[in-house]
Amino acid sequence: MSGGNKDALPLIEIKNCTMEFPGVKALDNVNFTLMPGECHALVGENGAGKSTLSKCITGENRMTEGELYVKGEQIRIPTYSVRESQSKGIAIVHQEFTLMSDMNGVENIFVGRYEKKHGFIDWKALDRRAQELMDFLQCEVNLHVAVKNLRTAERQIIQLAKALLENPEIIIFDELTAVLQEKDIQNIFRIIGILKEKGIGIIYISHRLDEVFACCDSYTVLCDGKYINSGSVAEIDNGKLVKMIIGRELANVYPPVNEELGETILEVKNLTAPKAFRDVNLYVREGEVIGLAGLLGAGKTELVQAIFGNHKVVSGEILVKGKPVHTKKPYQAIRLGMGLVPDERRTLGLNMKFDIKDNTTLPSMKLFRKLGIFQNHEGEARAAYDINEKMNLNYYSLWQNVKKLSGGNQQKIVIAKWMLRDTEIFLLDEPTRGIDIGAKFEIYNLIHELTKQKKAVILVSPEMEELIGLCNRIYIMYEGAVMDEVEGERKTQEVIINSLLGVNTE
Amino acid sequence: MNDYKTKSKKYSGGIKALLSDWMILFLFIALFALCCLNSNFRTTTNIMNVLRQASFVAIIAMGEFFVILIGEMDMSISSIIGMVSIFFAGFVVKMGMPIWLAFLLVVAMSAAVGVVNGCLVVYGKMPSFIATLVIMNMLKGINYIYSDGLPISGLSDSFGKMALGKVGIIPVAVILMTAVAAVLYIFTAHTATGRSFFAVGGNKEASKLSGLNVTFVAILAFVMSGVLSAVGALGLTSKTQSGNVTLGDNLLFDVMTICVLGGTSLTGGRGRVVGIVIGALFLQVISNIMVLLGINTYWQWVVKGIILVVVVLIDSYSKKD
Repeated sequence: MSGGNKDALPLIEIKNCTMEFPGVKALDNVNFTLMPGECHALVGENGAGKSTLSKCITGENRMTEGELYVKGEQIRIPTYSVRESQSKGIAIVHQEFTLMSDMNGVENIFVGRYEKKHGFIDWKALDRRAQELMDFLQCEVNLHVAVKNLRTAERQIIQLAKALLENPEIIIFDELTAVLQEKDIQNIFRIIGILKEKGIGIIYISHRLDEVFACCDSYTVLCDGKYINSGSVAEIDNGKLVKMIIGRELANVYPPVNEELGETILEVKNLTAPKAFRDVNLYVREGEVIGLAGLLGAGKTELVQAIFGNHKVVSGEILVKGKPVHTKKPYQAIRLGMGLVPDERRTLGLNMKFDIKDNTTLPSMKLFRKLGIFQNHEGEARAAYDINEKMNLNYYSLWQNVKKLSGGNQQKIVIAKWMLRDTEIFLLDEPTRGIDIGAKFEIYNLIHELTKQKKAVILVSPEMEELIGLCNRIYIMYEGAVMDEVEGERKTQEVIINSLLGVNTE
Repeated sequence: MNDYKTKSKKYSGGIKALLSDWMILFLFIALFALCCLNSNFRTTTNIMNVLRQASFVAIIAMGEFFVILIGEMDMSISSIIGMVSIFFAGFVVKMGMPIWLAFLLVVAMSAAVGVVNGCLVVYGKMPSFIATLVIMNMLKGINYIYSDGLPISGLSDSFGKMALGKVGIIPVAVILMTAVAAVLYIFTAHTATGRSFFAVGGNKEASKLSGLNVTFVAILAFVMSGVLSAVGALGLTSKTQSGNVTLGDNLLFDVMTICVLGGTSLTGGRGRVVGIVIGALFLQVISNIMVLLGINTYWQWVVKGIILVVVVLIDSYSKKD
């Protein structure tokens, strides 16, 4: 273990960092130190403040209070910027793609930083430099095809190469492995080893604790924006780390799972869509919550979209209350009592140009009529008001645009619009993505309320604990197939993770 | 429930919101007042003339309005106008059809063109700009093939009443336009189908996932554009009492200008029927005063261009905040 030279100057030192956004304290008195040649895990739940802290380091955010030292030199916070952090040798590699999908690898690495000869781009020199970077990382990636044709893991290597171009001394890995498969994750670990040998310090952000134990030297835990603890990975075990991260007993977080189940309301038989999922069988009963677990690209989103009639299916059947149905368009699925809360709230869930009332009543407009054809605006407004009050929405006017509401409030509207119709099957695709902890609990309770009213819920979530806490049964998908179905005692994180990664537990 | 009252109260935005909401109306009033300084402008005859001339273009612009509302564009209207004019005259004068039958036929033809436009965009996934540009040129070709480019005159005087007739001092054209605008206002503001145009233009995917029939709405928008263009074109044809293939050639620009002046967002999802009416009057008043001041046609094009640029600039600045 190369835990970093203890006498050396820290690459990054943060003292008493506080970061306030209007209305929220995202970071509260956080300390953080990164040594050369060290891989430092930054762990915590969603919304714990990991990204906020990394943004404070890269200059994307300016901390409200506190001190930041880079290589021993104090940074003037009020003028700190992304450009300055880059010139100081700080780089970040994101999980999402920051590449131009139609350009090839070489061009993506050098875009905006072309080497020129006589005023023209010197492609030969660029090819040579790119190959050197690949050799350094000991990776084989085809740099001469459009990156959209490459695998996820290969594209991330290119992002990494792009970051390395400026010879950074500090690299932040922002949930890079969340979308990768096991062997590609091993490759990332290998690369981290190479970088550490060069004395580069790495801040490693990940949700997967096994990775922390596999490749990191030290850790810092954040919880609800507060600094909890930091230390050496060698001196801690999984259990202690989990307790620090969650900061409370798991049992208190989730309402009880409803055990009074009715008839099967939705059944899916051998449903297949090319390149998305195949031979999927599942069912859900009245009052039941079923979970869909799986890595990115496992086909969960496509599956719920297909059930909702928004993804093409080549074979298989969908049955609602025992009757085969054809849902080729969402409006057909809606008539059958389904409602979808899509994963992309801002682009798919809401109409950002509309106000709260119009967004809330969009799927149920036709239920508010007078004289047969005219809209009953008063009735609509009244219904929108009632449901949003019930949802505990924080707003001042029904005619307020939804754009400026917080993520949690926006999500409440997306759910509310299905509660206005008598929706019986709720398809929730990552309903708690990117919303704060308080709003999460409200959504958990709402799901519980729905099951009490005999509604069926299909829940997709990347967070294992959420699925374990809320679902009666969990289906685990791997590369488009349902690998396992767990309930009761087998509903544990370990079983699920193994199936997620395609490891056979039997 | 008091809380409901406060949270459902409209227009809490104050004077600033009122101003920006009705900017075009205030500008129009200012322009109109300014023009009234000219003694030739402020005569009843001239003002009725302005209203009459604005009417048919307003009807055509109301069709384009629906297409822009869903975030698309219909370039084909200039050829639809030519088609309606020449075929209508042909049907009546050359083939001796009754006016009502010729009317139904050309409206049906325009609706069919709308369906084709809509299908190319929805099912063919073509950008509407390209699809309707292609249709515009094809139709233009067909119009010329049918007529050899020559006007067809000889439409009866009674048909001419559509443009030139009056009820009291109010021109028939103005009554027609007002009726169309009233129906379309009720349609957009008070029916579910009408509201769907705004939803689809605001966010197509979200609308689809909320159960709207997005395909139907999109095709309907192009059909309405076709049909309303046909109605407007018949009015313009009635003015000269002859069919002419070039009737719509310079109208596309005016129609776009009217839509933008009327506060229709070019990215879709926002706009008002009454805005179209005001926009049409605005543009017509400017044309009229320029004629009265003896400014020639070519300069009028330049001035109209400047107006469009200025309005778009004001619009994009006011949205920035």
